[in-house]
Amino acid sequence: MKFGDSVQNLGARIGTIQVLAFLLLTLLGVRLYFLQIVRGDYYSDRAESQRVRFIPIPAPRGAVFDRYGRLLVDSRPTYNVVLSNEPLKKINVADRVDDYSKGLGLEPQFVIERLNLIKKQNEFEAMVLKENVDMRDISWVEAHSLEFPELRVELQPQRYYPLGTTLAHALGYVGEISPKQLEDPEYIARGFRPGDIIGKGGLEQYYDEYLRGRPGYRKVLVDSRGRVQSELEVVQPQSGQDLITTIDLDLQIEAEKRIEATPTKRGTIIATDPNNGEVLVMASAPSFDPNIFIRGRSTPDGRRAIAAYWQDEKRPLFNRAIQGRYPPGSTWKIPASLAGLQQGAITVEKSNLVCGGGIKIGNKFTRCMGSHGSPPLSYAITKSCDGYYYRLALKMGIDGVIKMVEDFGYDRRSGIDLPNEKVSQTPKSWMPKILKDEGKWPDIRTVYSGIGQDTVWVTPISMLRAVSAIGMRGQMFTPHFLKEFRGIAAVGTEGKSDYFPARPGFGYRDPEPRRLTAASDQWDVVIKGMWGVVNAGGTAGSIRIPDFEIAGKTGTAQVAELGKDVGDKKDHAWFVSFAPAYKPDIAVIALIENVGFGGSFAAPAVRGVYDTYLAKRPGHTPREVAAK
Amino acid sequence: MVGIPEKRDLRDFDWLTAILAVVIASFGVWQIHNAMPTEVYWTKQIYGIGIALVAFVVVAFTDYRRLIDSAPIFYGIGLILLLLVLTPLGVEVNGQKAWLRIFGLQFQPSEIAKISTVLMLAKYFGAKKGGSLTFREMLIGTAIFAGPVALIMLEPDAGQAITYFPILATMFFLSGIKLRYVVITLVAIAVLVPAAYVGGVKSGFVKRYQQERINAIIDPDSVDPRGYGYHTIQSTITVGKGGIAGIKGDTDTSQSVLKFLPEPQTDFIFAVTAENTGFIGCISLLLAYALLLSRMIAGAREASDRVGMLVIMAIVGGMAFQIFMNVGMAVGVLPVIGVPLPLMSAGLSALLSTFIAIGFVVSVKLRRFVN
Repeated sequence: MKFGDSVQNLGARIGTIQVLAFLLLTLLGVRLYFLQIVRGDYYSDRAESQRVRFIPIPAPRGAVFDRYGRLLVDSRPTYNVVLSNEPLKKINVADRVDDYSKGLGLEPQFVIERLNLIKKQNEFEAMVLKENVDMRDISWVEAHSLEFPELRVELQPQRYYPLGTTLAHALGYVGEISPKQLEDPEYIARGFRPGDIIGKGGLEQYYDEYLRGRPGYRKVLVDSRGRVQSELEVVQPQSGQDLITTIDLDLQIEAEKRIEATPTKRGTIIATDPNNGEVLVMASAPSFDPNIFIRGRSTPDGRRAIAAYWQDEKRPLFNRAIQGRYPPGSTWKIPASLAGLQQGAITVEKSNLVCGGGIKIGNKFTRCMGSHGSPPLSYAITKSCDGYYYRLALKMGIDGVIKMVEDFGYDRRSGIDLPNEKVSQTPKSWMPKILKDEGKWPDIRTVYSGIGQDTVWVTPISMLRAVSAIGMRGQMFTPHFLKEFRGIAAVGTEGKSDYFPARPGFGYRDPEPRRLTAASDQWDVVIKGMWGVVNAGGTAGSIRIPDFEIAGKTGTAQVAELGKDVGDKKDHAWFVSFAPAYKPDIAVIALIENVGFGGSFAAPAVRGVYDTYLAKRPGHTPREVAAK
Repeated sequence: MVGIPEKRDLRDFDWLTAILAVVIASFGVWQIHNAMPTEVYWTKQIYGIGIALVAFVVVAFTDYRRLIDSAPIFYGIGLILLLLVLTPLGVEVNGQKAWLRIFGLQFQPSEIAKISTVLMLAKYFGAKKGGSLTFREMLIGTAIFAGPVALIMLEPDAGQAITYFPILATMFFLSGIKLRYVVITLVAIAVLVPAAYVGGVKSGFVKRYQQERINAIIDPDSVDPRGYGYHTIQSTITVGKGGIAGIKGDTDTSQSVLKFLPEPQTDFIFAVTAENTGFIGCISLLLAYALLLSRMIAGAREASDRVGMLVIMAIVGGMAFQIFMNVGMAVGVLPVIGVPLPLMSAGLSALLSTFIAIGFVVSVKLRRFVN
């Protein structure tokens, strides 16, 4: 140092600065070692997770057809407004509620729910905000693309029910998986995510696993604002499997028309093939339009319509065929007759029991509607003699009645391939409560149980199944809609992440065919009685069809005491039948609510189904059924 | 003033320093390209280097003593430019008036004034003969320093203002400030800064976002990643992601291209470097800086007079400080303050100022044998 000064000690001071500078640089080097070498993989992952997004590609659900291949349900592309996750993270979503609900005509409450739901999503970046949008909505989204970059319009498959209210209860509908289901371990295990569409009710729910496709996704690169930069990977979805049902659309439409023609327009008609349990008709009225559930979820009008369905006193969402429980009235006499023979309470040779115009239990006299002397079984069926069955029930005893309930399967579900089937109520199910409340089972309840009143409340499907088994002389099948699920080919490359294996087609396999045993002449006598109901001046003589022998039984189920059975409290009308009587091809049941006598309303409704059935045979070609 | 380079000049010319500076700057151009491949920043930076090199050569071959003689003029010009920034001629960007536009040329006077302040301080302290720094000298030195810094604080540009401090500190330290003052100052900083921060938070003087930025350093996991800690978190991710050897040309998914990393071509150019060249590239860059600083310090030791030594060391102090602040911010150990990385960050003003500074260093070294 040419100008050094011992006080200033310049050399050392410059050295100090140099050392200090190197120390700081070393410190940075150590930090870099930590970030890049020690934690390099961690930061690499973090960087990847913030730039990669998955955009789901919804898979179309399988279509549903009737037995002749006529379309009942399909999926068609609609434009949906989709809400993106990423841009929303930086804003206060509460600010958007007003804009969206006004701009797209959405219910504010729905918008709030949507925004809260998407806020919880990380991995997947989009959810549907409004389905089935029109040009007005699309142009609104386009016009506000700068203001609301989180909205976009996408073409996505949407469930469509071309026949509207027809067969609605059996078909069900679809909707987004509920928050409750999402917490269910069973659904979690199957990989459901918020926003996934699943079947709700009907075949849509029962066969959801097969109808549902396997969604694909687009793996995309996004920038810091969530804008898609490029596509990294596409996994194509696999469509769901098509379902061929056992339904005969011609019969179905006729049945619905028939209920519509009754005074109350409420009730159900079911038709099956007794030879295998295939369901040909399942009409329940009033009905609902599943399309409202698909499209109405997000709009105020749609939400009102859905709420109206739930609040309607006539219960249009209720499937009367499998969920309604009604006193069977005289239709109950058919299984009771066979059970009486099986259990030896009566015999084919000596089947006569006293009518007596009624019966006196204690000091209470219970009337028969007529005075039939001491009729044999077939006559008692044909004329629907109550007095006969009062005494038959007493002879069988309540244990015998319960045995019959078990034999005919009234104590369990029919096993039909629909969700939420109800179990009938019978003396068997009432027994514990009656014993608790009354100390013993009173004889009067046994008497009533002989004519299908009081402790007997059955579902129409269980009644049809039991009576069909009589037509089949003991062969009892599980009613079902599934004829065939079509197979679907594999998608993607085997061994790769985009691979969905092929899903094979399959048909229906009865889980539990049952067999009732009775002697040949025992079957004959019961069937003969039923034959007489229609063909020998019985209670349904008015629906007789020449050359087509219907075996049936009317029923009039008392809803209120005699004298009060008017207006809304009128009796329910039943008619249960199969035909041809000695070699049945079809079994039909009708229950019409609160219209009175079974022979006047239920039997003619069933006749309509038979007429249509006959018109189609032989060499019949199914007619086109236009969408409503 | 500008001497024609003589044969002797070329022999004594510090080629290594010049080449190091150009190499680092060129490396910087590559990183600016990586940061924004589709923008014009990197081509502009090449022109910038060209212009800066001309300025560098002119300064290097000029006798620095002549320039120091005119220091008051430069200092005055510097102050005038800083004043003009505050007039309507100043250009406001993000709430800061740090730029001046004259004849269509936009530049940052705080960068230019840094040189004139160094010269002015060097002129003043260089005249000193020996002995300890007096209180009066400290006062005058502080006054020289206070002029431009006050004007810069009015812009307000805290980042630039901070870079002036090490210049004054170096001047004081190498002008014989008593060690006890140094110790007292360091202790005072160690006590007062945390106390001031706590007091500032309580009194509301330290703004919420400033607190967040500090918290992002102390406890990055507790900070809202989309809030004010965003810059620090994204920069840390970007650096860490580089790993050993960088992302090897996969620029489509880079943090800067996808805009996760803010200001990648200027304040966060080091993060871009780290992402693209990894640990190897980063350490090489830091070693290059270390070598450059060593060459400059060696030059200071050989300087033929006190003025020359002070000019070089003030530049060394300022540069080392800026490197530490900028890289420290990029690796998440210092809060986010807009300090450019010397020779690397895109920006003509900073580039020009740095090359002129190095020009002085070379000029001093060239004349080490004189007198």
